[in-house]
Amino acid sequence: MIPADPAPPPLPRRRPSPRATARHLRAAVVLVALSVLVAGVAYPAVVTAIAQEISPGSANGSLLIVDGTIVGSSLIAQNLSAPYLFWARPSLNDYNLTLGYDGAPGPTTAALKALINETISYMERYGNTTVNATLPISLISVSGSGVDPDLVPEAVLVQIPRVSAFASNLTGQNVSIAGLTALVNREITAPLLPGLGVPYVDVLSLDLALLAEYPALLQAVGGP
Amino acid sequence: MFPLESLVDVALLIALVLAVAPWFGAYLGRVYLNRPAFGDSLLTPIESWIYRLLGTSPRETMRFKEYAFALLLTSGVLFVWMYLILTLQAGLPGNVLGIPNMSWDLAYHTTASFLTNTNFQHYNPQASMSLWGSLLSLQVAMFLSAGCGLAVVAAFIRGFTRKDGTLGNFYVDLVRTMTRVLLPLALLASVLLVLLGLPQTLAVYVTAHTLGGGTQTLYLGPVASWQAIDLLGTNGGGWYAANAAMPYANPSAASNLLETGLMLLIPLSTPFAFAEIVRRPGEGLPFVGTILIVLVVGIGLFLFFQAGPNPSLLGLHGLAQNSLGYPTFGTESRWSFSESSAFQVVSIYTNTGANNLAIGSLNPLAQGVLLFGMFTQSTPGGVGTGFGMLLVFAVIAVFVGGLMVGRTPEYLGKKVGKEQMRWSAGLLLLHPALVLVPLAIAILGGFVVFGGGIASHAYLFTSVLYELTSESANNGSSLGSFADNTLFFNLVGGTVMLIGRFYPMIGMLAIGSIFAEQEVLPPGPGTLRTRSATFTIYLTLLLVIISALLFLPVLALGPFAQLGF
Repeated sequence: MIPADPAPPPLPRRRPSPRATARHLRAAVVLVALSVLVAGVAYPAVVTAIAQEISPGSANGSLLIVDGTIVGSSLIAQNLSAPYLFWARPSLNDYNLTLGYDGAPGPTTAALKALINETISYMERYGNTTVNATLPISLISVSGSGVDPDLVPEAVLVQIPRVSAFASNLTGQNVSIAGLTALVNREITAPLLPGLGVPYVDVLSLDLALLAEYPALLQAVGGP
Repeated sequence: MFPLESLVDVALLIALVLAVAPWFGAYLGRVYLNRPAFGDSLLTPIESWIYRLLGTSPRETMRFKEYAFALLLTSGVLFVWMYLILTLQAGLPGNVLGIPNMSWDLAYHTTASFLTNTNFQHYNPQASMSLWGSLLSLQVAMFLSAGCGLAVVAAFIRGFTRKDGTLGNFYVDLVRTMTRVLLPLALLASVLLVLLGLPQTLAVYVTAHTLGGGTQTLYLGPVASWQAIDLLGTNGGGWYAANAAMPYANPSAASNLLETGLMLLIPLSTPFAFAEIVRRPGEGLPFVGTILIVLVVGIGLFLFFQAGPNPSLLGLHGLAQNSLGYPTFGTESRWSFSESSAFQVVSIYTNTGANNLAIGSLNPLAQGVLLFGMFTQSTPGGVGTGFGMLLVFAVIAVFVGGLMVGRTPEYLGKKVGKEQMRWSAGLLLLHPALVLVPLAIAILGGFVVFGGGIASHAYLFTSVLYELTSESANNGSSLGSFADNTLFFNLVGGTVMLIGRFYPMIGMLAIGSIFAEQEVLPPGPGTLRTRSATFTIYLTLLLVIISALLFLPVLALGPFAQLGF
């Protein structure tokens, strides 16, 4: 049984007068205008002033500067496809910051399988799989941002034989597997606190460290 | 392979937010009760000055129609302002990238999207939005839309405490939300995000000369301040197309955890604000319980589905045997599988709609888990409106429960009658109608082009279903798999968002005003005790079953079909 509603109390019938509407319009316009000034202008300006004071490095994009030249950002992957460098994760749009993940194939589609097969054969062409004949999936899978600069350590370690071979060949020096392994291990970023995040390697920083450690390689490349 | 032990930090985060929520919720309640509260000495004079400018005063109080009129008028003024900025942004100073004016249909969609707290983006920010175009229109709406959500739910809750039919003063509610909640919290969160490494500059980009000999444009901007209000107000629009997956918007596991907490803070505190306003300690707990049950089960199911292998990748030549596929494809390396997943589920379940991974590459069943969060809209849902929807579910639960045991349905001493149920049923049916009717038109009218095999068909169907659900629920996330910047999807999507936002808000105010006209009845022997574990479980089941029944058939055509069932 649906209970009957209580009798509503008699309400004073009030029609909004034009004057009342004008009052509302004034309030709404002033409220939006104030919000534009405070939330749209003052708020970002104040935070920018604070940020440039307390953390100028990261506030300006965590840029990596070598000899006065901006070579990239420690937070953003770039095209590092030279065979004597460590590679970051592949990107569907050549490490363009603006495109994100749009247009990637669906998780169960044939197109995804084709994309992954193509990436695997590319990797194999350069001998990335000589360690144990398999690839960690993070090395062949596209990231969410398309510019993920980091890799799990095993996906970096698997590249060492390739880097060693190409770099030794290029420089005529012995860029040894042991030396590269030590370099990679130095570049592993440990979690800030135990259990907060996972260990990873920032690949661009690793490559800069590689070039710094083997100046002959830097000369062969022609400098950044 | 998966550091499930890092779920510990996610659990600790939720525990921390829950520890803060009663305190912050009580503060929130005092803000809407206009009671003395922290910060009065500084803020009261400023607010008085603003009220004089607006031509209003806290002593003026509004009934349903006037409150709704003020809400719609303010939103309308903001709509016009945003639309003008977006369609004229090319002439704004500092447009160093030469961003053109937005087309009229995309500007309509974008304006509706940010005005309704949805933040669905049919455009690529760095190609379509200039610096001041973003700040003067979109960022203002990120504050005001969240503020309107909180103001409306405060008015709705006041209905339970009043007898004279009034709901409060919309302008006062909105001003106090800005000065006492959103601006101070956003400032604090911005500074924390800056310390965790987000860019914050008025420079739009720098050019890097890469190791490969090419150049790379590094797009910057006031990202930290954007991201703070983006998540705190459960907006979810990205400064970048990749949203919170972009390292500049979310550079580390620590920032990821902080951003997860920002999304949860206000939605988990609102039930406590409710208890404070209705002056019944503990009455918010059934809502907190319901939210936690659905949210935690959602995270658990998401982890379960995502941890499984992607069958279409199994047995690929040259792939390491421990590589499972789903957890890595489309996700980022700098945080763990469970941290990534927790952010994503929280983002969808709070109707923020930010993403720190590629939703389009998830296990189809995990996509289904996310869709379910948008079906309920209320566990916990967006800032303000999510709790309002949960309160509507509670009213329905009390009514159904009362009928089942033959008692007069009453909630907090107010009778639940035919009029409230008419509005509540309308609000329940609106969401599926706004999703399914446009979905049918889009599919049957040929507005999306199907191709490829069955899996591709099901994927595209899921994408369109996801897009419309996201717009109707004011969520804003998407699978990003088809071209949606078309006349059809801009006009239909914009309209779906506007109706999906403002009709429920008006409904909540209407229900509140019906309650506000009644006397408060003393509790009798026949009163259903709502402050109990039984009611919590009953409310959870009712909410889950109703949401599932409304949408289950389309889940079969979308996510389930992707798996080839």
